[in-house]
Amino acid sequence: MSSSEEQSRNSWIIEDDPSKVSSKHKDGFEDILEERRRTSDLRFIFRSRDVPVYKYSHPRSAQQIKDDVLKSDRVKYAVEQVSESTGTSTKEVYEEVQAILDEMAHAYKLGAIRALAMVLTKTMKRLYRRLYVNEEGINKLRSTIKEYPVIILPSHRSYADFLLVSYLFYNYDLPLPVIAAAMDFMSMKFMGWLLRSAGAFYIRRTFSNDQLYWAVFTEYVQTQVCNGDAPVEFYVEGTRSRTAKTYVPKLGMLKASLEPYFKAHIPDLMVVPISISYDRTLEESLYAYELLGVPKPKESTSGLLKARSILSEDFGNVHMFVGEPISVRQFCDGKVDRIVHSTAPRYIASLTESEEALIQDFAYHVVLEQQKQMIISPFVLIATVLMQNRDGIPLRQLVKEVEWLKRQTANLGGYVDWPGSESAESVVQHQLQLHGNILTLTDEAFVELRQSKPPPNVSKEMQRDIVISTGALQIMTALYRNQLLYLFVRVAFIAVSVNSSLHDTLTLDELYQRYSFLEQLFQREFIFMPGHTRQDFDKSILHLTHGGGLMVDDNRVLIKRSTNKYSTFLSQMFEPFLLGYWVVCQYLLSLPGDIHGKPLPKTHKATSQDVQQLVVRLLQEGVVKHYEIQSLDLLGNALLSLTSMGAITKDKRNGEVYLCPNQIVVSRISENLGRYIDLPSIPGSLLVPEVKQVAVPAKL
Amino acid sequence: MPSFQSDDQRYAPTLPKRRQELLKWNGWGYKDSKFILNKDNHVELTGERYRLSGLTMPLLRDWMIQTLGVNLEHKSPAQPERTAADIPIPIKNEAFLLDLKKAGIPFSDDSQDRLFRAHGHTLHEIFILREGMFQRLPDLVAWPASHSDVVKVVALAAKHNVVIMPFGGGTSVSAALECPVTESRMILSLDTSQMNKILWIDEQNLTARIEAGVIGQDLERWLAEKGYCTGHEPDSIEFSSLGGWVATRASGMKKNIYGNIEDLLVHVQMVTPQGVVEKSCQVPRMSSGPDIHHFILGSEGTLGVITEVTLKIRPIPLCKKYGSIVFPDFESGVGCLREVARQRCAPASIRLMDNEQFQFGHALKPESSSYFSGIVDGIKKFYITKIKGFKPQELSVATLLFEGTNEEVAAQEKRVYEIAAKFGGLPGGEDNGQRGYMLTFVIAYLRDIGFDYHCVAESFETSVPWDRVLDLCRNVKDRLHRECKERGVQFPAFATCRVTQTYDVGACVYFYFAFNYRSMSNPVHVYEQIEACARDEILANGGSISHHHGVGKLRQRWLPRTVSEVGIGMMRAVKQYLDPQDIFANGNLIGPGQLESKL
Repeated sequence: MSSSEEQSRNSWIIEDDPSKVSSKHKDGFEDILEERRRTSDLRFIFRSRDVPVYKYSHPRSAQQIKDDVLKSDRVKYAVEQVSESTGTSTKEVYEEVQAILDEMAHAYKLGAIRALAMVLTKTMKRLYRRLYVNEEGINKLRSTIKEYPVIILPSHRSYADFLLVSYLFYNYDLPLPVIAAAMDFMSMKFMGWLLRSAGAFYIRRTFSNDQLYWAVFTEYVQTQVCNGDAPVEFYVEGTRSRTAKTYVPKLGMLKASLEPYFKAHIPDLMVVPISISYDRTLEESLYAYELLGVPKPKESTSGLLKARSILSEDFGNVHMFVGEPISVRQFCDGKVDRIVHSTAPRYIASLTESEEALIQDFAYHVVLEQQKQMIISPFVLIATVLMQNRDGIPLRQLVKEVEWLKRQTANLGGYVDWPGSESAESVVQHQLQLHGNILTLTDEAFVELRQSKPPPNVSKEMQRDIVISTGALQIMTALYRNQLLYLFVRVAFIAVSVNSSLHDTLTLDELYQRYSFLEQLFQREFIFMPGHTRQDFDKSILHLTHGGGLMVDDNRVLIKRSTNKYSTFLSQMFEPFLLGYWVVCQYLLSLPGDIHGKPLPKTHKATSQDVQQLVVRLLQEGVVKHYEIQSLDLLGNALLSLTSMGAITKDKRNGEVYLCPNQIVVSRISENLGRYIDLPSIPGSLLVPEVKQVAVPAKL
Repeated sequence: MPSFQSDDQRYAPTLPKRRQELLKWNGWGYKDSKFILNKDNHVELTGERYRLSGLTMPLLRDWMIQTLGVNLEHKSPAQPERTAADIPIPIKNEAFLLDLKKAGIPFSDDSQDRLFRAHGHTLHEIFILREGMFQRLPDLVAWPASHSDVVKVVALAAKHNVVIMPFGGGTSVSAALECPVTESRMILSLDTSQMNKILWIDEQNLTARIEAGVIGQDLERWLAEKGYCTGHEPDSIEFSSLGGWVATRASGMKKNIYGNIEDLLVHVQMVTPQGVVEKSCQVPRMSSGPDIHHFILGSEGTLGVITEVTLKIRPIPLCKKYGSIVFPDFESGVGCLREVARQRCAPASIRLMDNEQFQFGHALKPESSSYFSGIVDGIKKFYITKIKGFKPQELSVATLLFEGTNEEVAAQEKRVYEIAAKFGGLPGGEDNGQRGYMLTFVIAYLRDIGFDYHCVAESFETSVPWDRVLDLCRNVKDRLHRECKERGVQFPAFATCRVTQTYDVGACVYFYFAFNYRSMSNPVHVYEQIEACARDEILANGGSISHHHGVGKLRQRWLPRTVSEVGIGMMRAVKQYLDPQDIFANGNLIGPGQLESKL
C-alpha cells in the first residue's frame, strides 16, 4: 500500500509550490522553445514531417505551379491584350511573363525549409525566453487545412513575424506557408535565396497600371489558393506597423486571394488571423527614429548580421495566438450574389462593387480579430501610465496605477499577460529591467524615462538634438502604450467628449455627434469597422454606464457626475493625438496664399516634414509637451484623414500628388477639434519658419 | 401514306386506369418489384421484371451500413395504406359535375384515385405518403379519351371556374403535381392516360402523330413493332408520358443521336382556356416570329393540356452496344468527355460516374452467377489497380452506349477509346457499361428501401458550362457534406455525381444525395434546406436551375434570378392572355403568390 508520506498529502499533486511549477504551460498556451532547449536541434530538424494536406489538392512542385501560371487562360488573355496594344509579339510578351514569374515565384524545397528551421531554432532560442502558442488554435488550423484552402493573416509589427509563423508551422508539422514578401528581401544575397526556397514569393510594391504583372501576380496567387498547395500567408496591413498600432488594412492582396471564392473555383476559403505579441519588439529604436524621419537602413544580409548584437539582448516572451478560422463563405453568406460571374469567363477580372465593399469589411473584420487576440504585456500598462507622467513617477504609485489600469483593461476584454503567482511590484520591476533601455528605476524608487534634462543654456542645434532624442524615447514608450489604445479608443472618445463639455448635461444625440466626429477624424489612426459607428457608440455607452463611469438620466449625460478618474485618464491617453491633429490644422491654416488666397500645393511628404518642423519648434519653445507628436506616422495619418474629409484636395502634377488645403473646411475641423482639448496658444512667429521674405498675406 | 386507325386492343395501355392496382401507392414503380432484405439478410430485388430481379446483391447491405451508417436493427416502416377516412373530403362543384356527366367523360372521386394523383416523386411527397397526408388533393379525376374530350373539359372548367391539373405519368420530381393548399375551387386532375394511341406513322417524313397520354415504354414498344423508335429515353421511360415530356422539356439519355424533346417535336396541340394553339404545318423549321412551341415546351401545365404531338421517328438501329472506360480519376474523365464533345463524336450516350458512384454501382453487383466470372473480375481489378496503378478510392468510370450500323458502332468505339486513352482511360468492358445504366433505373426503387432504414435520398440535376464542370461537382458535393454536418446529421452523408450528357458548350450533371436521419426530428425539412443550399451553390457555380426536371414548385424561387424579372413578366403576360381565370392553377413556374390576381 501507499507510504505514510503519501497518505499525508493529496497523492495526485506532484508539485504544490507554485514558484517551482515551470511556466511552459499557462492558460491555453504552450511554450514551444522549452523542448528545443532540452533536446537535439538536429533531430528536430531532420525528423520526418507528417503534414496535413487539403483534401482536393493535386500535388505540384514549385516549377509546376509556374508552368501552370504560364499556361493559364488569364495570362494568355493578358498577353494577347498587351501584344495587341503595344505591337510586341506574343512570344516576346511571354518572355516577359517568364521573367516576371522567375522574379516572383517561390522555390519551395524541403531541404531549404529544414535549413531555415535550423537557423530559426537557434535564433529564437537566443532572442526569446519563451515562445507561447495557443495549442487549441493549432489543432483547429490542422483540421482546417485538410478541409479548405487556407489564408494565413498574421499581425505585422516586426520582421520576426514571418520567421515566427514559419517556425510555428514547422514545429507543429503543418505545411509551411508560401509568403507574399516585399521586393526588398529579394535583393538580400543569401537570405533572399533561403527565404525563396522556404516559400517566400516576391511582389512589387506598386504595379497597379501594369496589366501583365497584375495578371501574372493574380494567377500565381489564385492557382495556389485554388489548389491549396500550401497555406498562403500575407500581411493584410501591407507593411510592418512602426507604431505597434494596427494599420488600416490594404485590400489588393486580399482581393486577389478571395476572388476564387466569388468565382466559385473553391468551395470555401478559410482565413486564419494570427496575432503575434512581443514583450519587447526587436526594432523598437529603429521604428522610433524612422518615425522621427531618420531614414532606416536598407535591408541587407550584412545589416542583418550586424543586428547580431541584438542576439545578446533579452526580448522576453512572444505570444502567438492562432485565431479561429474565418469562413469566407459564412462571412459572405447572403451578402453577395455569386451568380453574376456566370456570364463571362472567370479569368477576366471582374469583382463587383458589392464584393469589393464586402472584402473591405472582411479586411477590417480580420484586423479587429487580430487586435482582440493580442496579448497585452504588463509593460504596455506601465508605458501607458508613464506617458501620462512623462517626468517620472514613484514606483509605489506606478504599481498602484498599473494595477488599476489592469482592471480597466480586463473589463474591456483585454487579455493581460500577468503572472498570477507574483506580486504586482515584482512584475513591474521585472518589466523595468527588461525595458531598461527606455526606463530607469532610481535609487529613490522613482521611475522615469532615460532622458537627460536639457541644461538651461544650450545652442539651438543642441536643443534640436535633445528634442529628437527625447522624442525617440517617448515614441519608443508610446510604441508600447499604443498596444492598449485599440481597447480604449471608443470609450475614450466618449470620455473626451464628456470631459470637454461646457454644459451641465449633454444629450446622447449630441454625444453621438461628437463621438462620430472623432471616429471620422481618426479613421486612419485606429481601426473602426466601416458602418458600425452607431453599434460601437451604443456598446461603449453601455460599457461606461455599467462601469459607473457615465451617468445618464433621461437620455442626458450628467457631465459633473461623469467626470472622474477613469474619464480623465482616458482623455489624457488620447490627448497627444487630438493635439497633433490640431497642430496639423494650424499648420495648414498658416500656409501663405497665392494671388487667389489659396495656399500653394505641396507633396504629402513635404507637408508632413514641414508640420514636423513646426512641432519641433513648438517643443523647443515648450508650447506643447508631447514629443510623440513629431511622429511622421501621426502627421501623415492626419493629412490622409483630412483629405478624406474634404479638407485637403489632391492634385496630380507630373505624376506626383500635391495636397491643396481647403481653408474653410480645415478651419471648421480645427475649431471642432478645439472643443475637445485645452489649446496651447501658438505665437505667430513660430508658425512661419525663419521668415526671410516678410510677405505675410493680408488675408490671414 | 399508310396510317393506323386507333384500336383499343392494339393500344391497350400497360398501366390500368386504377394505377394503384399495379403500381405502389407510396413508392416507386411496380408493386411486385421491391428491394428487400431476404432471409439471409442480403438485399434482393423481388419480382421478375428486371435483370436484377430475383438476384441478391451481397455487397449492398454492407455498403449501406458503411456508407450511410444504416443499422439493420432500426427500421422505419411506412404507415399502412390510407383509407377514405384518412383523406380530406373533396370540394364539389355540382354544376360542373352535372355538365361533365352530360358530356360523357368518365370521372371518379374515389379517394385512392385522388390520392394517386396528388403527388409526384419528390422526397417530400413520398415522405408524406409514408408518414402523413397531403392537406390538399385533387377533388376529382377525369379521363378524357381524345383531344375533343379535352376541349370539352377545359370549356366546362372555364364555365364553372374549376381548376384543372393535367396528370400524365405522375413521375414529376419538382412538386409540380402537389395541389396548392390555398386553392378553394374544385380541382380536377385531368388524367391523360386514356389518350395513348399512335394516330398515324408517316414513313415518308419519318414522323408519328401520337396522343400525349402515352407512356414511354408503350410508345417505344408499339413503334418497334413497325421497326421504328423515337429514341427518347428518359430514366423514367417506364412510367412518364409524352405530354409530360413536352410540358417539362424532358431529356433522354440518347439525345446525342435523337435529340432532346424539343428537337424531336415537330408539331404539338395544346388546349387552353383561350382555345387550341397549334401550327398549321409540320415543317423542319420555319421563320415565323417567336416559336410558339417554346411557349408550350416547359409550360408545366400552367397554360393548358397538351393533347397530340407529332414526333420524329427513326428506324431501329441494327447494332446496340454498351461499353465502359475506367479513368484514374474523375478529372481525367471530365477531360475526356470534354474532348469527345469538342470533336462532336459522342456516342448515343456517354456518362461519367465519380468514384463514390462507381463504388455504389459496384455494391449493386449481383451475386456472381459463375465461379469463372468472379475470377475474371479479380483479374480485371488486379490489372487496373496493380498494373496500371489506379487507386480504387479515386478512379472514375464512364459508361457508353453505341447505336448504329455495325460499321458505325465500330468506328465510334475506336474513336472514343482513342480519345479516352489520351486521358489515361482504359476500356472497362460491356458489363460495367450496362450495369451503369441499370443503376439509373433501379435507383428510384432503392430509395424506398433506404426509407425503411431512416435514410432519405434524392437526385437533382443541372447543366453547366465545360470550364465549370469540375468546380461545380466538387463544390456542390462539399456543400452537401458541410450543410449536413452543420445541421446536425449524425452520420456521414452520401453525395455523388455523374456527368450524364455532353453538349458543345457544357454538360448535364446529376447528383445523388442521401443521409441517415436517425435521431433527427424533421428529416424532410432538413433535407429541403440542404437541397436548397445545393441549388444555391449550383447557381453560384454557373449551373442552371434545372437541365430537364423542370421548375415546378420546388425550384420556383430561383426562376426570377434565372430568367430575369422581365422574363418573368413575359411568362406572366402569356399566362394572363391564355388563362385569365387561372384555370390551370397548379402554381408551377411563377407560383400563385407571384400571379397578378386570382379570380
